[in-house]
Parts: sequence; C-alpha cells; structure tokens
Amino acid sequence: MNQLIIALLVIIIAPVLGGLLSGVDRVLTARMQGRVGPPVLQPFYDVFKLLGKEPIAFNQRQIMWALGYLALMIASLLIFCLGGDLLIIVFTMAFAAVSFILGGFSVKSPYSHIGSQRELLQMLAYEPVLILLAIGVYMQTGSFMVGNLFKQSTPLLVSMPLILIALIIILTIKMRKSPFDLSTSHHGHQELIKGITTEYSGPYLALIEVTHWYELILVLGLVAMFWLQPIWVGILLALVAFFIELVIDNICARLTWDWMLKVTWSSGIILCLINLGIIYVQGKGGM
Amino acid sequence: MISSKYLLTISIWLPILAALFCLSAKKYSIRNIVAYLTGVILAACSIGMLLMGPFDYQPEGLLGISWNMIITVADFALLAFILFIGIKQRHLLISMLAIVQAVLLLYFDFVLGGGHVEIEPAFVIDNLAIIMALIINIVGSLICIYGVKYIAEHEEHHPLTRSRQPRFMFWLIIFLGAMNGIVFSNNLYWMFFFWEVTTFCSFQLIGHNLTDEAIRNACRALWMNSVGGVAFAGALVLLLKYGSGDFLSMRFLLSQAGTPEIAGILLLAVALMVFAGMTKSAQLPFQSWLLGAMVAPTPVSALLHSSTMVKAGVYVILRLAPVYAGTYLSDMVAVAGGFTFLVTSILAISQSNAKRVLAYSTIANLGLIIACAGINTPVAISAAIVLIIFHAVSKGLLFLCTGFVEHNIGSRDIEDMEGLADRMPITNVIYTVGIISMFLPPFGMLVGKWAAIEAAGELPLVAFMMVIASAVTALFWIKWLGRMQQGVPGAVRKTEPMAAQYKISLGGLAVGAVLLGLFIVPLVADIVSPAVKNYYANSGLEAATGTITAVGNGVFMVWPLFALIIVVMVAAGLMYKPDRIKLVPVYMCGENSGGLSSTNYITTGETTTDLSLSNYYFTGIVNEFSWNRLVNSLAILMIILLMGVSIL
Repeated sequence: MNQLIIALLVIIIAPVLGGLLSGVDRVLTARMQGRVGPPVLQPFYDVFKLLGKEPIAFNQRQIMWALGYLALMIASLLIFCLGGDLLIIVFTMAFAAVSFILGGFSVKSPYSHIGSQRELLQMLAYEPVLILLAIGVYMQTGSFMVGNLFKQSTPLLVSMPLILIALIIILTIKMRKSPFDLSTSHHGHQELIKGITTEYSGPYLALIEVTHWYELILVLGLVAMFWLQPIWVGILLALVAFFIELVIDNICARLTWDWMLKVTWSSGIILCLINLGIIYVQGKGGM
Repeated sequence: MISSKYLLTISIWLPILAALFCLSAKKYSIRNIVAYLTGVILAACSIGMLLMGPFDYQPEGLLGISWNMIITVADFALLAFILFIGIKQRHLLISMLAIVQAVLLLYFDFVLGGGHVEIEPAFVIDNLAIIMALIINIVGSLICIYGVKYIAEHEEHHPLTRSRQPRFMFWLIIFLGAMNGIVFSNNLYWMFFFWEVTTFCSFQLIGHNLTDEAIRNACRALWMNSVGGVAFAGALVLLLKYGSGDFLSMRFLLSQAGTPEIAGILLLAVALMVFAGMTKSAQLPFQSWLLGAMVAPTPVSALLHSSTMVKAGVYVILRLAPVYAGTYLSDMVAVAGGFTFLVTSILAISQSNAKRVLAYSTIANLGLIIACAGINTPVAISAAIVLIIFHAVSKGLLFLCTGFVEHNIGSRDIEDMEGLADRMPITNVIYTVGIISMFLPPFGMLVGKWAAIEAAGELPLVAFMMVIASAVTALFWIKWLGRMQQGVPGAVRKTEPMAAQYKISLGGLAVGAVLLGLFIVPLVADIVSPAVKNYYANSGLEAATGTITAVGNGVFMVWPLFALIIVVMVAAGLMYKPDRIKLVPVYMCGENSGGLSSTNYITTGETTTDLSLSNYYFTGIVNEFSWNRLVNSLAILMIILLMGVSIL
C-alpha cells in the first residue's frame, strides 16, 4: 500500500518538478545569453498547447513507440524510487531509449532518420558508463538495490568520485545539452530541423516532452544517489550538476558524433575503470 | 507408463530412420508428413524426459555385437569417408587431419585398448542434458518442418535436373539424432563419434548448393571442425593413458572435480575438449567457418546457429565447467569467451547482410555463454544455461524470418528491408519480438549481465569486455529494426500470405520466445536451477513469484514490464484512428514534389530526385578484413595460453 502511494506520488510529482526544472533551465540559459527569457512555467504552457493541437501521425507504430518511450521511462523512474535493482533501471532506460529511436525511424524522413542514428550513437556512448556505475555500486555495497544505499553509513561520493565525474559527462548527453546534443537540440541555430523528433507534432510531441521531464528527474536522481544520508545533500548535489550542465551547454557548440564517442569512451570509461580499480584494491586490502 | 529408456532410444534412432525414409521419398507430401510426425514424436520424447526426470541407461548390444565395436567401426568408416572427401576435393588439410584423427584413434583403440573399455552407464541423462534435449528436439524439429517447404521453394528459384530435396532433408533430420547422441552420452568415446557425425552433417548441408563457394565453405567448415576433432581424440588418448578407463566416463570425470587428480596432463585433456568445443562453437579464430556456412539454404543456418552444432560446443564447455572450476584454465576460458563476445559484437555493426549480422551475433552470444562458463560461479552457470535456451529460440526465429523474407523480397540485405512493417506486417512483428528478446528486458538474455557483474569481482577484464560488448550489441540490432520500421505516409499495409509450415515454425518460435520470457521464473526455478545444483552448492538465482533474485545481488521483475508493454500496444491501437488522424507528407524543407506517399524532392539544381536513406556501417573504422589478422593472432595466443595454463 505504502509502495502504491509512493508510485502515485512519483508519477504525478516527477513531471511537475521536471517541467519546472526545464523552465528554470530556459530562464538561466537566457540570462547567460543576455536575454530575459520566458516565464518559468513556459514548458507547461508549451505542452498544454501541444496537447490541444490537431493529431498528425504517419502510422500506428509511430504512436506506439512514443507511448513506449513514456511508459518505460516512467517504469524506470518507479523502479528507482521504489529502491529497485540499478541494473534493471539501466536496462529499462535503455529500452525506453530504443523506443524513442524506433519512433524516429518510423517514418521515411531524412531528418528524423539522422536524428535516430545519432541517438543510437549517443546510447552507445553513455550505456557503458551507466553499467559500470551499477557495477561500482555492487562492488561497494554488495547489492544492486537502490534501497540498500539508504542503509550505507558513508555516501557513495566518498568511494566513487571519479564515477560521478563520468556520470556528469554523460549527463550532458542524457539532458541533450551541447556539445553532445546531437540527436535533437534546444539551440535552433545548430539544429538539423529538429532531429529525431522532426516528424512528431501535437499531442505526440507533448508525450515526448513529458517523457523528457521524467528522464531529467531520473538522471538527476542518479546523481543524488551519491549522497543519500541526509538526502538534501544529494538533492543539492543534483542541482549543482544541473547547473554545471547549463554552463557547459552555453559555452560549447555541438560537436560531431565521433568526438562524442572518443570523449565518453576514453575519459568517461577510463574514469570509471580507475575508480572501480581503487574500490577493488581497497576491498582486497580490507579483507 | 513408458520407460525413459525408450524415449532415449527413440530420440536417437527415430531421426536416423526418418532421415533414411526422407532420402527414399521422392514425393514432397511424404517428406512433409515425415517431418511433421518426426517433429511431434521427438518433441513429445523430450517433454517426456522432462516429466520423468533424470535417468541412466545402458543399452544392450545389437544382435550380439557390442556397441563399442559398432561405434569403433562406424568411427573409422566416417574418417575414411572424410579422407576420401579430402582427396576428392584436393584439400590436403582435410586429408591430413582425418589421418591424424585415425592414427590417434588407432592408438587409442588398439594400443591403449580403449575400444574395449566398458563405461557403465553409457548414457547419463541429467537435468542439463534434458534442457539440451528440449532445445534440440523442439526448436530443431520446427526448423525441419520449415525446411521441407523452404527447400521446395528454393529449388523453384534454382531449378535442378535431379531434385536434391530428399538428400537435404536426410542430413537435416539426422543431425537431430547425432545431437541427441552428444548430449546423452556419458561415454566420451561415444560422444566423440556423435561429435564427428555432426561435423560431417554440417559439411554436407553447407555444401548443399554445389556451387564453388558452397563447396569451398563446406570444406572450410570440415577442416576447422576436424581440428576440434583432433583435439577431442587427443583428449581421449590422454585421459586413458594418464588417467584410467574410468576417466572416459563424463560422470566420473565430474566426480573428480576439485580433487588433485585434475591437474597437469589430465587438465590438459580437459582443455583440449574445451578447445574442441570452441572450434565447434566457431569462437575466434575459427569464426570463418560459421560465417561461410550462410551460403547454405537458410534452414541449415537456422539449425546450425540455434539448436545444434554450435550448441554442442558450448554444451561440452559448460558440462566440463565444474571440472576446471578454480583453475587458471577457467579464467582463460572466461577471457577467451569475453574476447570473442567483444570483437564479434563490434564486427556485427559493419554488416548489412542480415545473415552475416545474425552469424556474428551468434558467435558473440556463444562467446558470452563460454565466458559465463569460465566465470564458473553458480550465477554465471545459471546465466549460461538461460542464455543457451533463449538464444536457441530467438536465433532460430530470426534466421527463419530472414529466409522467409528472402523468398519474398529476393534479398537478405538489411537496406532492402526498408518499410517491411508495411510490406510484411506479420513478419515485422515476429522480427521485432525476435530482436527485442535478444537483448532487452523483460526477456531472459539480461541474466547474462548478472554474470558479467559476478566476473567484475574476480576478472575485471572479462566484465569490462562484457559491458562494452553489450552496449555495442544494441547498436546493430536497433539500426536493423529501424530500417524495417521506415515507411512512407499513407502506405497501404498488406498482410503477407504464409505457408502452413512457415506459420507453424515462425509462430511457434515467436510464441515460444514470449512464453519463455513470461514464464522465466518457473523456468529458472524448476528447470535451470536443478541442473546447476547438480554440480554447485546453489543455483545462484532464486526465483519466486514474479521475480528472479540473483542471490544477494538484485531483483528482476518480469510481469510488470510485460504488462506495461501490452498496455502500450493496446493504447497505441486505441489512439491511432486512421480516419481521425491527419496524414501529411514527410517534411523535406518545403521541397517536396509528388503526393502524400512520395518522398521525391526538388534539389538545388531544380531537378527532382527520390530520397534514399541508409544506415551507418562504420566500415572505415570497423573493417573485418583489416581486423581479421590482428584479432585472429590474439585469439590464437589466447588458445596457446589456455593450453599452457592447464599444464602449469
């Protein structure tokens, strides 16, 4: 019963928070660029307006994959908030991303085709880091369960600082921020139309926007996971990471996919491996 | 109540008799009935074994002649025939390897007296063997049923003066009998015989089309598997010479696990058998025979890749896992498997030929299974078994689908499958099920990842290779699936007609893949765990209502995810109202020309051209030809190390 209440709260509150955060994102970004920017609630106005638009779709599978993206993302967030298995969270997120990509592929369109191909490469870039993060949590605590982390006396940040840095690198991809906003970008001047979501419009585009809010909360949750006792430190950590991403976004231009792969696979994965190596050695020494 | 021993006898003899019957049957309808009947009976036998549980069986001789004698004669006859093929094809390597095997066997039989060693019982059917039997007899039979129809269509495309269909069915069906022989044999000498029969069957099937390429690739499969045959024969000699007659019994060998007996030369014998398994499972550097095998008609690929041949290799490696547990050999097996998993997953992304993608993915998954065997913890062994089961069903399905598509659109190139979702909607659904079940939750392939984490504690290198490889895996599957999804607006969906055999085999495997995913909990609890517990302290995985728990590690919930997928599909169906939703042409920067379904556009040169899309293949970076030398050298080095560490 308790879990059901948590689940309902998550489903309702997460998009509100996510929407607010992206509103804050837009205001801060505007200020960094010397503009005033829209009101904080602008993302909600946008989504409500989209919901009221005429539905345009090409085929049933385009809608199915968009819905799948939303549903699987909510599922991953739920597993996370209910203290579930980190590995399953990572793979459910991967399935959500796969749905999004296949949605882009559902129509023979040059722009969404390129967007999907790039989103696929983005997935290739961040997936190893997320799995290595899960491995790190397992090696440190002996369990994949997120719930188990609340029982740890020392926060993860102490033992896994390098993995947190790697996570922040891939957070740029997950939040679709420059320099890694390859598949679809918030900056109009560097975008190929709208990339992967080119062929989505109206209520279906609204679904995808809402999914991005859920996704934002989930990835920030992964950052917060690094300091769960007391939890406000973790939340602060997540907000700091969020702000860092905005700064990076505004001082970088979009770069090519091979550069992205090189950065995430070299620095990201190597940071994870060094960190895992340290945990491994400490574990051996402790025994 | 039928005694279990009859089930065993039927599952080895029925394929032989049915195969002979097919060989003499000139009529399609008769072969069709034989395939159906054999399939039903074999499937029933394997299910019967599952219900009755493990048993031993010692067959009486045939007409007063001992089976050892018969098998010895058959073994030499087979080698003589392979030698003859080597001479006829002017293939020196095949002839030499046949002679080496014959010499080893002569030494084994007549100098060491191995031909007279009686192993009691000759057949041991334990839980693992039953799992293999289920795969071979159910998946294999469905492929044979498909094969009857496919090969008839195949000959319509490539007319022959004299039909080779009876011959094709002969080798296809007899393969099942030989595989049953391998998994049931406790007597390693007998297992070797069945092992050689599968090598020979695959040679005959790969060369079926009799083109130069087919014969060349068949010869390659034969010599590479003969290398494994030499290793297996060498292992028999070592076991008998440096151990005793008892060591020719798999059960005895397993009972010696963890004792000081298993070291030095005897461990080398085990390593040789593992090596033989690697050749059969097309691990690096032997991958080229399985890649070449795709010249054969598609049912052959489906059979080789899913339920037979390559599964014999991983079966032997997995079966021997308790024997080499805790040795450096085990670590090397894990590294070699992980290496193959990594390299072949990466190579798969550069392929646009559907059968080649599937072939690389098979080799990669077998590498993963072998890596799990090498990690050798209860969770890893459970993972390996679950992977064998799921891989057999999904890969069989994907190959059969590819064959069906090839006969319909005349191509097996992924780029030609654009818009298959509109052109062949049913096939598209089946493909989607097959591909998603290969690497995404809630399907069982995920448990392999748990094994990777297990490895992280002891073998960080293997865990790392598994993590990278599994990320790459997603890339080649999704870009394939993506091409099939791409359709033009307003495309008319037309349901494709399907022959009964195709409906049964494709439908059966697709439903099977979903059901296995849905009921993975009882599958793990009642079928996989007992097989692991026979040789390990626990099964590593605990299955309870709706969840699977890797002991102390984490939880995998199955049904909520399945429920979610169903909700999404239903909701999409409800939301898509073709008459209420507006259709518009694809956005082309306002340069469209033509109607709704057209993707023509006006170029800067004021001419009209059609949009054509294709996937990334990264051939600049991932080039199999430039990679092969380095990768194969590394793999050979690993195999030398594998032998080396077992002697030390």
